[in-house]
Amino acid sequence: MNLMADILINVIIAFLAGSLLLGLHRKVMARVQKRPGPPIVQHLIHSLKFFFKETAFPKTVSKPFYIGIVFILALVWVVGVIVGPVAHDSLLILFGVYAVYKIVEHNSGSSSGSPYGKLSCVRAVLSAATELPLFAAIVFVYLKTGSMNIGNIIAYQSAHGPLVLSIPLAALMFFMLIITKSPYSPFAITKDKALISGFETEHFGFLRGFMLFSESVAWYVMLWVFLTIFFGPLNPVGYLIGMIVITFITGFINATTPILSPNHSVMTQITIGAICFFGTVVMIFTGVVA
Amino acid sequence: MDSQKITCIILLVLSTIAILACLVINFEPWIIYGVAIFGIPLLILSLGLLTMAKPEPEDAEERVKEPFTGY
Repeated sequence: MNLMADILINVIIAFLAGSLLLGLHRKVMARVQKRPGPPIVQHLIHSLKFFFKETAFPKTVSKPFYIGIVFILALVWVVGVIVGPVAHDSLLILFGVYAVYKIVEHNSGSSSGSPYGKLSCVRAVLSAATELPLFAAIVFVYLKTGSMNIGNIIAYQSAHGPLVLSIPLAALMFFMLIITKSPYSPFAITKDKALISGFETEHFGFLRGFMLFSESVAWYVMLWVFLTIFFGPLNPVGYLIGMIVITFITGFINATTPILSPNHSVMTQITIGAICFFGTVVMIFTGVVA
Repeated sequence: MDSQKITCIILLVLSTIAILACLVINFEPWIIYGVAIFGIPLLILSLGLLTMAKPEPEDAEERVKEPFTGY
């Protein structure tokens, strides 16, 4: 297939599947809290609807940055789709994508001129703690498989079985990242409702629709990477089931867990990351895992 | 026609042509990756800036006056 067609198809699949999964996530949360909740397609409809909503740029914003940061958000997740589902390339590039995402959170808040956005931008720096367990998980995948390349990791798992069985604590560390990035997460300190919508507060109308598009793609890419590097070669049905199951689990967790204060959130993430890190080291060196 | 609209139309046309060219012609992969990484977000951004509704002239000042400071 033509490479550009492959990329376009994967971006569209990522947007549609990501939107529906995020809609499912809200539905699960609502049902757990004994509310009917919005329809599953609501997130998708919102994303498209905002493209036609009235949009104005507040006087206080730094306009090129205010618009540019939304463009960069979409750009980094298109890179995520290319590195993951399309090219099966290096995990390090994906780690770079997450690093840039953190910069987007920070700069989106600071470019808005809103006090809520600015406070969220400060919290984005604190919440960089999320990326530490991700980096540790990637290191363990490398130690185990001898490669950072997603294609090689898939090949390794076809020969030796899924990595979730050999380095489960590394998988748990990656799962922590998924919980952190899921909507209404206990660790989502940058989007705490005390800050209205955090760094997104001043991005409304079309720009919010564009951000919702990128967030849908981001959710799909994150689940795809997790399933691919820990659950071995999967067919499309396997990916679909895996993504729905993870969305259900995160929905249950987020519906029953209140958001933590910034210091508790960071300490919890670092503690879980440290336990999983040393646990995996012990498992490898004591021969618990081959 | 304001400068934002003209810029958006130019960017929309350029990104569409670049993406279509990559669909028709088999360029080197790095060129296609470059076009996809910059072209797809640019296409959506320029399209969105054209499709979004603008405030009525009498409401425009009120809309941009101050940042959102709570309900």
